[in-house]
Parts: sequence; C-alpha cells; structure tokens
Amino acid sequence: MAFNNLAENAERLSRRIQESFQERTRDFTKSGQASYLDANDLDKTVNLSKLLDSTSEREKLDGLKRIIAMISKNRNVSAYFAQVIKNVASPNLEIRKLVYIFLLRYANVEPDLALLSINTFQKDLADSNPLIRAMALRVLSGIPVASIASIVAAAIRKCAADSSPYVRKSAALAIPKCYNLDTTHLPLLMQTLSTLLKDRSPLSIGSVAIAFNAICPDRLELLHPHYRRLCKMVADADEWGQVQLLELLTRYARKMLSRPPDVSAPEELDEANPGQASHEDHELDPDLELLLTSASPLLQSRNPAVVMAVSRTIYSLAPVKERRKFVLPLMRLLHSSKEVERVTLENLRVVAQASPEMLRPHISRLYIRSSDITQVKQVKMRILAALITPDNAQDLLREFKDYVVDTDDKLVSDAVWAIGQCALKAPDVSSSCLSALTMLIRSSNDVAVAAAVLALKSLHQCRTSLTGSLNVVASLASHFDNISHPEARACILWMVGQYARSSGQGTTPMPANLQAIEPWVPDILRKAVKSFKSDPSAVKLQALTLAAKVFVLAPSHEQSCMLARYAFSLARYDLDYDVRDRARFLSSLLAGVNGGVSSGLGSDEQEVDMQEGVILRTPQVIHVLFEGKVAPSDEGRWRSGVLDLGTASLITGVAMQDDYLRQLPDWPDEGTDSSLRDTQDDTPAPFYSQPSLKLQGFGAESIGNFSRPGSTLTTPVVLTPGDSSPSSSVPKPGLAKPHYMDLDKFFASDEEVASEDEEEVTEEELEAEPQTKSTNVATTVAPHPVSVASGGHTSTEGHDAPQPTRESDDEYTDEESDEEDAFLRRG
Amino acid sequence: MDGLIILDGSGRPIIQSNFRNHPPSYPLSIVDAFNDALSKTLPENRATRSVDSGDLDPVLYISSTASGPAICCHVEKGGLRFLCPASQDIDPLFIFAFLERFLSVLQEYLQDISLAVLKEHFDVVYQVLEEMLDDGKPLTTESNTLRDIVLPPSFFNKVLSVAGVSGLSNATPAPFSSPIPWRKAGVRHNKNEIYFDITEDLDAIMARNGTLLSSTIWGRIDCNSRLSGIPDLNLSFINSKAFSDPSFHACVRLQKFAQTSSLSFVPPDGNFVLMEYQVSPSAVTRGSTAMSNGGLQNQLLNFVPLILKSKIEVGEKGGSFTFTVTPRSGSEQLKHRLGVENVVLSLGLDSGAIGAFCTASFNSGGQGFGGSRDKEREERAAGVWAWEPNKKTLRWTIPSLGSPSASSTWTLKGTWTSTEQVPRPCRSIMMHFQTPHMLFSGIKVDQLRMTSEMYKPYKGVKIASKAAVEWRW
Repeated sequence: MAFNNLAENAERLSRRIQESFQERTRDFTKSGQASYLDANDLDKTVNLSKLLDSTSEREKLDGLKRIIAMISKNRNVSAYFAQVIKNVASPNLEIRKLVYIFLLRYANVEPDLALLSINTFQKDLADSNPLIRAMALRVLSGIPVASIASIVAAAIRKCAADSSPYVRKSAALAIPKCYNLDTTHLPLLMQTLSTLLKDRSPLSIGSVAIAFNAICPDRLELLHPHYRRLCKMVADADEWGQVQLLELLTRYARKMLSRPPDVSAPEELDEANPGQASHEDHELDPDLELLLTSASPLLQSRNPAVVMAVSRTIYSLAPVKERRKFVLPLMRLLHSSKEVERVTLENLRVVAQASPEMLRPHISRLYIRSSDITQVKQVKMRILAALITPDNAQDLLREFKDYVVDTDDKLVSDAVWAIGQCALKAPDVSSSCLSALTMLIRSSNDVAVAAAVLALKSLHQCRTSLTGSLNVVASLASHFDNISHPEARACILWMVGQYARSSGQGTTPMPANLQAIEPWVPDILRKAVKSFKSDPSAVKLQALTLAAKVFVLAPSHEQSCMLARYAFSLARYDLDYDVRDRARFLSSLLAGVNGGVSSGLGSDEQEVDMQEGVILRTPQVIHVLFEGKVAPSDEGRWRSGVLDLGTASLITGVAMQDDYLRQLPDWPDEGTDSSLRDTQDDTPAPFYSQPSLKLQGFGAESIGNFSRPGSTLTTPVVLTPGDSSPSSSVPKPGLAKPHYMDLDKFFASDEEVASEDEEEVTEEELEAEPQTKSTNVATTVAPHPVSVASGGHTSTEGHDAPQPTRESDDEYTDEESDEEDAFLRRG
Repeated sequence: MDGLIILDGSGRPIIQSNFRNHPPSYPLSIVDAFNDALSKTLPENRATRSVDSGDLDPVLYISSTASGPAICCHVEKGGLRFLCPASQDIDPLFIFAFLERFLSVLQEYLQDISLAVLKEHFDVVYQVLEEMLDDGKPLTTESNTLRDIVLPPSFFNKVLSVAGVSGLSNATPAPFSSPIPWRKAGVRHNKNEIYFDITEDLDAIMARNGTLLSSTIWGRIDCNSRLSGIPDLNLSFINSKAFSDPSFHACVRLQKFAQTSSLSFVPPDGNFVLMEYQVSPSAVTRGSTAMSNGGLQNQLLNFVPLILKSKIEVGEKGGSFTFTVTPRSGSEQLKHRLGVENVVLSLGLDSGAIGAFCTASFNSGGQGFGGSRDKEREERAAGVWAWEPNKKTLRWTIPSLGSPSASSTWTLKGTWTSTEQVPRPCRSIMMHFQTPHMLFSGIKVDQLRMTSEMYKPYKGVKIASKAAVEWRW
C-alpha cells in the first residue's frame, strides 16, 4: 500500500513539474498564437491597448498579431486605428509590416486618421533600404483616399526613377491603383509609364506591362519604339511578367504588324483552308518573326501560365505551318494537376475544333480514364468527337464503346452520341456503329438507352440510306415497352409516325388502306394510347402526333382510327394545357380527313367553328405533318463558338467583364511601317551585342563577372555612364560616351545631382539615417492629431516643390541594378 | 486575380487577402457560392449518382457577386481550400500557377500545410501573402527572395521574438542585393551537398485484351541544393536522348541544353524542381533501333511486370469478382530482379455499394510454403484488401512481389452488396506499383561538374519510378 501511495505521489509530482515546465516553455514551443485565431477572447481586448502602447517591441508585436487575428475573424478593430498607426515608423520591420497590413485594410474606414501616416511614408520613400521604399509606395498607393492621389502620383514618379528594379516594379504596379483613385492624373501617370517603358531591367518590365494594360490598353502606338526591345526581354522577365508582356506584345502585333503570308483574311478563313492563301509571295514580317522566336523558348517554362501565354501568341500570330509546336508543351500540362488539366483541355478543345490535324497524332493521350473528373471527361469527349476521321474511327469506336459503361451518365450519353458521329463521319464503320447502338437499346441503363434512341433518330434523319430499310425503326419500336426514359419514348413515337409509311408504297400520294403503313405501326399506337394516362407530357404530345399521322395515312383502317380518336379524346381533358392545345390544333388540321378526328365525340360548338375555317385536303395534311423535318444539327449539343485561347470565358462559357481588353483585334489590312519601330537600340548596345537572345541561358563569361559580387560591389568607380543606366530617360545617340567614367567625373556628377536635389542623399548618409528619422516621427505623430495633420501637409508641399527639377534624377546610376541586368542577359 | 481566401474544413474563411477594389461583401459572396457548390457535390445532396465529391469544377462561375459575375478557382490542400476569385477575364491557368507557387512557398515556410499550422503562424502567412500578391498581381514569388524579406518561422526566431528582438532587421542587411533573382546572396553551408531525385511516372491504359492503348512516361528531377556561394553547375546524363519536350526551372540555360543535352545552371538555395520531361517512346527501346510501332508497344508493355485477369459479374443488388495477377515473364523489372513494391489494385464500386467481402490468396507456383510459419508468410505475400466506404472503393495491396516464379499467382476473390438494383461498378481497375532503383527511360546521371567555387560538392542521386495502369474489363 505504502509503495502504491509513493508511486502515486511521485507520478503526481512529475506531472506537476511537467505542467509547469510546459507553462514556462509554452512561449518557445508554441507561443500560443493559434489561440489568437480560435478563442473568442473579447476580454483580452482590455489589455490590447496596453500592448499596443507598450514600449516593448515584443508586446507591440503581440498586440498587432492579435489585431490581425481579429481582422481575420471579421471583427471591427477600427477603434485601435490610432494606436496601430502610431507604430508605422517602428524600426522593427515585422511590426511595420503588420501595421501596413492593418492600414491597407482599414484606411477606407478611417481616411482622416490614415492621412496621419502619409508623412512617414514619404520619408520612407527616401530610405536606403529598397524594401522599405517599395513597401512605403505600396502602402501609400493602397490608401483609398482620393485626396492624396496627387501625392501618390508624385511618389510613383519618384520611384519610377529609383535605382532598385524592385522599387520600380512597385512603382509600375502602383500606377493602376493611382489611376483608379483619381483618373485626372492620367497625363502624369502616362508620363511615368513611358519612363518605365524604357526600363532595361527584366525584373520590372512585366509590371510595366500590367500598368500599360490597366491604364491605356488602346494606346498601342506608344509601344513602337519599345517593341523590339520588349520582344528581346521577354525571355528574361519574371514568369508573371512574361505572361503580361506576351499578352501586350501579341495585341500589338495583331494591331500593328502585317498578317503572316499563309493566314487568310477572316472572311475567307471560315470556309477556305487557311493554308491555301494567296499571299504566298511576301515574307513573314521580321518584327513578327522576332516576337515568335523570342517567345518560343518559353514553351519550356515550368509555369503553366507562361506556356499557355506562348501558345496563345503562337496560335494567334504564327503562320499556319508553324503553329504545331505548342501542342506538345500544352499536352505536358495535362500531367501537372487536375485543375490545370481541366483548363488546358478546354484550350486544346478549341485547337481540336479549329485545326483537328494538329492533335490527331496525339489522340491516344486524350483517351478518357475512368478516374478523370466529370469536367475532364466531358471536354475530352468533345475533343475526341472533333478528331474523328475515317482513319481513326475504328479505334475511336472501340473507345466509345468502352465509355458507355462508365459510371458518369453524362459521359455515357456523350459517348453514345459520339458513336453516332462515327457512323456519320466514317461510312466504313457505320454498320458496326449501328449494331453497337441497337445493342445499347437493350442496356439496363436508362441514360444509355435514351441516348442510343436519340442517336439512331438523328442518324436515320441525316442518312436514311445509312440505316437502310425501316428495320431500325422497327427494332426500336419493338423495345417500346421496355424503355421508360421519357425522351426516348417520345423519340420512338415520333420516328414510328414519321416513318410509318410502308416502304413498299414509296411515295404513293393517296394511301387508302392499311397497306399504306407498316403493319406494326397500329400496335405501337395502341401501346401509346394504353399508357397515355401515365406518360409524361412530352410523350403524350408525340403520341398525339403519331395518332394524327396514322389517322391521315390509313383512314380506312377502322381500328387505327378508333385508337386515334380515343387518344384525342383523352388529350382533350388532359391536365397539361400544352397537350390540350396540341390536340385541338391537330384535330382542326385533320378536320377534312375522313370526317375529322373528333367525329363521334359528340358535336359541340368547337366543331361548328371548325366548319367555317379553311379545311385542308388529305395530301395537304400529309405535307404539313411529314415534310420539312430538318435533320438536327449537333452543333447545339455543346456550346460552340470558337473562343480565344487562355481566357476565363473559354472555361465558363460566359463572357466576363472587361474581356474586350483581352480580345485580340483582327489583323490590319496593312501593317504599320517597320521604321516606326527603328530605334537607337537597334544599333548594337554593349550588352545586347549578341544576337542569340532567343535562347535564354546566360553565357559563361557573364557568370565570371558575378561570381564574386562582393568584389564588384566594392569598386564603386566602375559605374556605367548614365546613357546605358536603367533609368536613363533619353538615349543620347550623338554622345559616344565612354563605358567607364573616371573617378573625378564621377564625383563631379555626383555633386551635380546633390546640388540639384536636396532630397537625394547618398547611400552612406542614409546608412546613418534611420535612427534619427524614427525619433522624428515618434515626436510628430500621435498625441495631437491636428498639428500632425498640418505637419503632414507642409511636408507634402515641401516634397512637391523640387519635383520639376527631378529630371536630373535620370542621371542617377546604380551599379547594383546594372550588374543584375547584365547577369540576367542570357545571351 | 482579385485576392486569395483560405477556408478551413468547414468552409469558414480563416485568412484572406485585402480586396481593395471590391465591396466588403464580395469575398463573402464568393465564399458562400463556393460552399454552396461544394455542398451540392456531397453524397447526401447528390441529385444524380454520376457526380461524386471529387467532381467540383475547379473553375466555378459565380453569376452574381457584389462586383458582378466572377470566376473562382480553387485548390484543396491539407484539408484547407484556397480560393482565388477574379472578376475580370484572366487565364485560369495564371491563377492556378499562382496558387501552386503560393502553396509551395507556404510548404517551405511551414513544412506542413494544415489548419493547426496555419493558425499557429497566421502572421507569417499574412506577411507572405502580402509580399506575393499586391492588389491581385503576383509580386515576389521566388522563395529565395521571399526568405530575405519575410522570415520563416523557426525555433530560433521564436526565441528571438520572445526575447523581444526582431530577426528581420538585422538578419538580412540587404534584401534584393542578389544579382540572381532566384538565388539568395551570400549563402553559406557547412556541408556542401546537392541532392537530385529523379522520378518517372508511367501512365498507361490497357485494353480488355491486354494490349496497350495509351501510355506516357513523365519524368521529373527534384533538387535540393545546399551549396555555398554562387555555384555554377553542369549536370550531364547518360541516355539523355530520352528527354522529350522538357520544361525547366528558370535557372537552367536553355541554349546549353539544346547544344549538349546537359543542364547548366546556378541553383536556387533549397528545394526546387529542376526539370520535368516526357520520355520519348523510341528512346526506351533498349538496344534494338529499328522497331515497328507494334514492337514499340510491346517494349512498353514490358514495363508492366504484372498481368491482371479479372472477372466481374454483376447481379441484382451486388456482384462477385475474381482478380488474378500473374508475373509477366519478359518484363524489365523481373528480368533484372528489381523489386516491385506497393502494388495496389483498386476498383470503384457503384455508388450504392454497402460492403464487400473477399479472400486474398497467393500461390507461389510450386516452390510452396509448408508449416505454420510459412502460412504466415503466405498470407503476407497475398496482400491485404480493404473496403473504403467513403470512396466506395475496394483496395487490394500487395506490399512486395518478392521474386516470383513464372507460375506464381495472386488471387482476390469476393462479393459485394449494394442498394442499387443494377449496380454499375467502375469500368476499369486501377493498378499502381512502384519500382525503386529503376527509371523507365534508362536515364542516368553521368557527372556533376562545378565551376566558379572552390569547394567540392557532395552529390546525391536517388531514382524511382511509379506506374498507374488502368485495366479495362
């Protein structure tokens, strides 16, 4: 016993120790953050203000995290706005970032308070750290207060000339935001944009394309002087930039360049084979070729969006004979994920319908697996159906036969339909298609049966010769009892009526007795009448039609006529007004035949009315009932209308807002003059001298330059002249500047810059700056909002003042970005 | 793209980006529409039996939101749903590519993506999201660059933050200072190692008569680089003619590959996918050069070491089945005595299936086991079967083939019951298996050369292949 007690005590003690240990280490192991999102901790709001006002960074951070967690839970935390904003100039980057996240979400709730922080951001725009400069601009442009639009526009302009491509990228991305805020700043923004267009850093150029698409998508003429350089830069831009750039350049090419020689004008394209155009004589526009050769290597990108963008470019721009090359890369995407597969297939479907020959060699890769998701199965089916030719019909028929036992009913009915398509497109296999379809009628699956009946019906209508005699209809009719699917029943009744005329009689105009119809037809009518009461309306309507047809074809067959009359009397009192209406219509039509279908039902005023109308003779009635049936077209089965590759509306089938922005214009009648695109850039620049830009991959010699970044960075004299610097606005062709400035000149120019613009601080000074600045802010912000607001205002003016002279900033150069540019150039 | 919303397992938003240009009700209506669409595919609400829970369209069209019609692309990971709505026309692939990148970055930051982990590190997720997506435009998506500006959570950082010191301000003195966008500047490792994982997947469809209808081999090279400085690598292969239609990480110099079929690159630090490729069928016909198409098909058939014969009889409210698996004598794996592992056969039964009962048996084909211990071994060799009621799937797993003789047979015999009058089981049986230490393509790493750094890196290569074969019955 004693031992037991002891053991129990020891256990309890150890648990205690463990608990307290856990308590102490909780901060380390878990820091308890998960509870921020979970707990319904309203009581903790009490100390939240204390945390935010705390002097300890750790507590501030904790408070901010709680605030962010509350935002996540859709709690209203605007009460803390002022306290949070106070921390906007914290030296701790993590705190700042959380404040930024908060600010961006709540700025529109408290615009006045948000303005308090603007002062800080303007200071941050001159920070030495590119990360801080970029973040400041991003937050500044993200504050949705229209009154600061001019400040934002000016800040963007300043950042557009920044030395760091990352900041320039942020500047480009801020342009659409500013434009949304206040459209009146468009001229200034356009000016900034054209500065950015000259940017030679591949890092930022993609964002410039985004900005261009957002604020002036139609001003493609602005791209003339940049077109060739942008083409060459595509391969080096970041992946997302590549997509945007390709889209922009593709639109440009469609608007400004001349049509490739073997692509015919749209009006011919519909019927004629585009390969046989008359423009054989003239060559592919070299500018177009440049775009295509620069884009093609990107088919090997790891990013599916890039592959699709290149495919779109090739598909819409390349000569027909060169289009094939994007098919395999697109097929590669099918393996990446089911989401990507689903979207890619939809694009391949467009290709399959427009030029099936491109996909036929790879057809077996599009076979449907039982594990595919429904949407994938459907699209694959559409593609396979579009690819049927007499050559592959045998194989495809075997595939389709496998699909009709799939667990997905949509696929089953599509597959059955496709078997019908095989029969139409490949006469050789039509007999096996027919036997497959007739087999399916005995299937236990309603859906397959219905689809088979429909397929047989349309086959019979399209090619009566194909189905031969009436035996298809007869065999369908013999299964009438076993088929319960309403659509299939209705369809059979229609077919029986339509093809009831005895084949022996051919086109005998006036049938007089039962010989005029197939012997089994009255029996089907009997069955239809028998089940009339329980059938759905769609079947009832067809039963009436059948009755009318039999009535007019065999007026002398007593039993049939009685059946028909019975059907009409049933229909007259049907619950569905469509059925009643159809009965009335048909009986009026038949009024002149054999004393009318309603005779013997007792005369009422309706019959009297009918006597006064026009009464058709029997041949006329036959004409009305039997002729003019158009074979159904299967176009409507799936929404068609070839759409553009790489769009959302292709997937959803519904046009999206603003999709005209992405639509490609038609080729112009004549391309614009290529001299428009001639620039000074075309004369070999130091870095672009190698022509082999079309393949990415930077040469070994360039890598040699950068294997020791420290050493290059510590030789500040090796500055490239302003002319080839990324931010240089106008290339000055006349001045053949030396590549390297000597030291004296460098310092001289540095002084110039410094004297022209006081705000421009050299890197070394900025290193020491942050400390003092943060204290400044701490004193200005917070306790007296009014004074701070006025302070912010004056500072704004102070910032605006030097703007006109800022052109000189273009002389500002930076070795870091140049180095990076050179590195990326994979010549 | 308008933004990103992360939903937990019950469809509630836990983290979402800022929808600056949209009314606050916009993300809510997206979430509602998504949950609505999702619930329609759940078994209990299914209108028709054809739709099962995996079949939610990855691109949803939402006709009415606060900002007009929109599409919503979504992916699922770790029980969470990641939604990306877009109210303007955009290539859905762009969204999926972004989501994929976002998830791989999260994976790298948090090691594991699950509700608990995300809640634990929600502040990191917010920061990463903010850096990756600026007003719906992808901003910084390279994980090497991101790690400079958002610190990954680690024990060390926690200690720092508990101590009240921010790691970010001093740990990374110069973000964006690297001249190579995909590689961090100043990487230092004590051990300089680089690992390559080459995996190949065979996708095949077998017709009823056992011929190959369709087959594709996909390959992928994953790389984990732990090298200091700026290493410039050149990786060359044996039998590199098998690479067809490759795609590369941005770091690979395409021109070099076009000229020499070797990969020349400066790797990012950490895990990344170096290359993906397809294997051209003509390159795997080992030795024999001129082969007809039929011969080629046979050659590919030899990558499937097993022959499956199945007999499924469907009756009223259920059915019975027999699967017989025998080794294919000429197959590459058995010829070279390579272990075939994790053979999994699965058959989806009809949606009304309630349960199944089967017996698995193994006949070694003469060599015979005897005694009780061997009986155990025999049971193990026969594999285990399981019925998965959620997926309505029957699964039979044979952990390892061992070294079978030509007449070895594995058999699974059983019956199932269903509520459906005429059950409609799936039209094919999926067979998965793995062959470690083999690549279908016969590609081998020849050598890794490094220039521009002085040290000698350690190189590790692992190869493996998987196959997913659909047998129609």
